[in-house]
Amino acid sequence: VPWVLQRLKAAVHYTVGCLCQEVAEDQDVQFSKQTIAAISEITFRQCENFAKDLEMFARHAKRTTVTTEDVKLLARRSSSLLKYIAQKSEEITSSNMEQKEKK
Amino acid sequence: ERRSGSLQRKSALFSCVSGQKQMYCHENWSLSREEFEIWDRLYRIKESDGIKEPVLPQSRFETLENLEEVTKHEEEATHELSLSEWRIWQNRPFPTAMVDHSDRCYHFISVMEMIELMRDEQGDCSYELEIQPHLRIEDVNVQRNKSHHSVTTST
Repeated sequence: VPWVLQRLKAAVHYTVGCLCQEVAEDQDVQFSKQTIAAISEITFRQCENFAKDLEMFARHAKRTTVTTEDVKLLARRSSSLLKYIAQKSEEITSSNMEQKEKK
Repeated sequence: ERRSGSLQRKSALFSCVSGQKQMYCHENWSLSREEFEIWDRLYRIKESDGIKEPVLPQSRFETLENLEEVTKHEEEATHELSLSEWRIWQNRPFPTAMVDHSDRCYHFISVMEMIELMRDEQGDCSYELEIQPHLRIEDVNVQRNKSHHSVTTST
């Protein structure tokens, strides 16, 4: 495995560990180290799925830049997830607008 | 117009397979009388069959508000198809007929294999030991505690 991939995996693993720690405290459960490792590896591989899909969605719309519309398509299978992502997208858009107005 | 033309041609091709006789009552989306009779006799699950109707599990998010309508099945009458009860078979690719395994599918198989290899580990985690030396702190959001949200250190 090339070192840069190892480095990426290590960063994902670290962050997954932090998130799992939060869940563990919140839900009063414990995750084994192996469970955290498995979630990291799934996340790492899921990034590949997402990246390929996003690129295809953008290309399908004759764009070379991935937009939030492409990201929303990743969530199309679940209306719950789609609603959540769409809300976040709006929040980001409006906070970006505010920042622009400040400048 | 062109589109409906090609669709018609397709459905005509389709009914050719099942023979001339059925063709004229095959214009509908629904089953013809003959087809219904075949379905009813050979495939339809009836109470007398003594088997439960198969249903697929519905998607549910533990961490989100769930919008999907929950259709409550009587558990007695249905068999929810499981995607996990044969997990120990899933660390190798299953045979294919016409459709190859996707990348997504191979990722799934690999992770199942990884889990299989870690199953008997006690305490220390081989994945963690292998990967940790590669961690660069500038790649991650370092959380010191919950009040200090995502402080990025840079070198």
